[in-house]
Amino acid sequence: MGPLIPYDIIPFEWSSIIAIIIGLCFGFILEASGFSSSRKLAGVFYGYDFAVFKVFFTAAIVSLIGLLYMDYLGHIDISMLYIHPTYLWGAIIGGAIMGIGFIAGGFCPGTSLSAVAIGKIDAIINVLGIMVGVFIFSELYPLFEPIYNGYFYGNITLEDSLGINPYWFVFILTIVAIIMFAVTDMIRKRVKKVFY
Amino acid sequence: MVNRKLVKFLSLRYKILAFIFIVLAGGLVLLPKHEKQEGISPEKLLANTINPERYISTDALAEKMINQDPSLLLIDVRNESDYKKYTLTNAINIPLKNILDEESEPYLNQDAYDVILFSNDHFHADQAWILCTRLGYKNLHVLNGGINSWYNTIINPKMPTEDMAHTEFELYAFRKAASMYFGVAYPEKVKKATVIKPVTKPSITAAPKKVIVKKKKKKLPIEGGC
Amino acid sequence: MKNKTQNRHIYWNPYFGGFLLGILIIFTFYITGRGLGASGAMKSSVVTIVDDVSHEHAEKSAYYSKFISGDKSPMNNWIVFETLGVLIGAFISGSISGRIGWRVQHSPKITRRRRLIFAFGGGILFGIGAQIARGCTSGAALSGMAVLSTGGFITMLAIFGTAYLFAYFFRKNWI
Repeated sequence: MGPLIPYDIIPFEWSSIIAIIIGLCFGFILEASGFSSSRKLAGVFYGYDFAVFKVFFTAAIVSLIGLLYMDYLGHIDISMLYIHPTYLWGAIIGGAIMGIGFIAGGFCPGTSLSAVAIGKIDAIINVLGIMVGVFIFSELYPLFEPIYNGYFYGNITLEDSLGINPYWFVFILTIVAIIMFAVTDMIRKRVKKVFY
Repeated sequence: MVNRKLVKFLSLRYKILAFIFIVLAGGLVLLPKHEKQEGISPEKLLANTINPERYISTDALAEKMINQDPSLLLIDVRNESDYKKYTLTNAINIPLKNILDEESEPYLNQDAYDVILFSNDHFHADQAWILCTRLGYKNLHVLNGGINSWYNTIINPKMPTEDMAHTEFELYAFRKAASMYFGVAYPEKVKKATVIKPVTKPSITAAPKKVIVKKKKKKLPIEGGC
Repeated sequence: MKNKTQNRHIYWNPYFGGFLLGILIIFTFYITGRGLGASGAMKSSVVTIVDDVSHEHAEKSAYYSKFISGDKSPMNNWIVFETLGVLIGAFISGSISGRIGWRVQHSPKITRRRRLIFAFGGGILFGIGAQIARGCTSGAALSGMAVLSTGGFITMLAIFGTAYLFAYFFRKNWI
């Protein structure tokens, strides 16, 4: 019955080692999928490369289906998992700022780290920028605090907020994603190829 | 030939993968729904129920109370008016109807104390015991016979007759001593006939023990993944 | 032939990468009960640097003080170890495919300098945004989506939605 560390099946002291192993796999997958290339990442917004979209949604669907099956079969207690808290306007405004940052800088933190590892100078600059951004946020924290702490809805899931059955939601999401994959392939054929 | 077949198969691979995904996701929708079993399985519950170990006799309880056993936690599952009239020393009141409430949980679901449930007889206490055991709570006991038995054995013990075994006399001596401890006056001691009546100690209403709430194992990280 | 030399990066099939990433997320949740993350490590580094430069300032600030707890260094954190793993893992993958080297990747239409300035500016925005939303694309959006968190879905929609809206203004940088 998982999750293993919160249930003390694996002692807490192991978590650092497990963290490194998980990070290692994460970094390997990101780099091998081409996420260390900012132009490949940006391709999703101009229609010449949909790798980000495909990787992201395939991962989301696989993990959703997998976790729900594991929960159903009793291997994992889904109520013990950390659910990202919902701060409505924090998520929207923060997400919007990140969106602009994404298209301007071409990286998000995870991908820029994997690009730093293979020596991309723009990624190193991007990581420095992210750190400066965190610094600015922390210094101006009183200014951001109403958004940061406001509109808190708790650690809710879509089931709580929309009243939707998670199984049906995942089923519909899967179909939508597969249709989107097909559509993106069609778009990609029409868009002028960009070599990078 | 094989090669051509392989090429043909590979051209379909995305469709096959998409199909597998839809089947898997559809499987989730079509799976028979079952209520998640909370707590222990019925078989285990039955084994626990048959086992008479949960009963504690009034004598054993009296001894524990006289020795001021620090691990003792008495819970009165009768309703509040009965509790106010009479209860055992230092007992706290959780009426049976509130046994599953959130406020009751820290008292019942813990591993620091031996919880002893009691009611007038042991019927309601037993029901409370089954409910809590079903939820997987540990260290729960039931006072055998409940308050009635407590009254008959400890507060007002029967004098053994001459032909009874020696142990009965010892037991009677103990019970008498215990009843004095719980505040019953005896005529031969005080040379004055008094009506034997259960005495309530003053400190019953306040929950006497600070119960350490069993730490929930769920530990949320302060900050999420990122 | 020219295309071949330019497009020499042999990356995994995106579905394969996505599948493995999904399995990794399940594995992470199964072991630790939480998702992946990345920007948390940068926050920890910033907190550590500020704490080293001026301990008083960090103590006084409402935000830093949340992450400074007595004897425990903010770097002694799950997410920091995970990030070290990301660096090692990406380096291994890069060295297997021969992608390692100091270079700046940019569209031929813009200068190297412009690319670096934009990378820096984008980083600043991402840093601020990730703090407001309490997570970046991996921590909030990807791991949040895996457990159907409402906040995760909103963050994901906000990131990709705004990026599409603003893509037009930055097109010269990429195409």
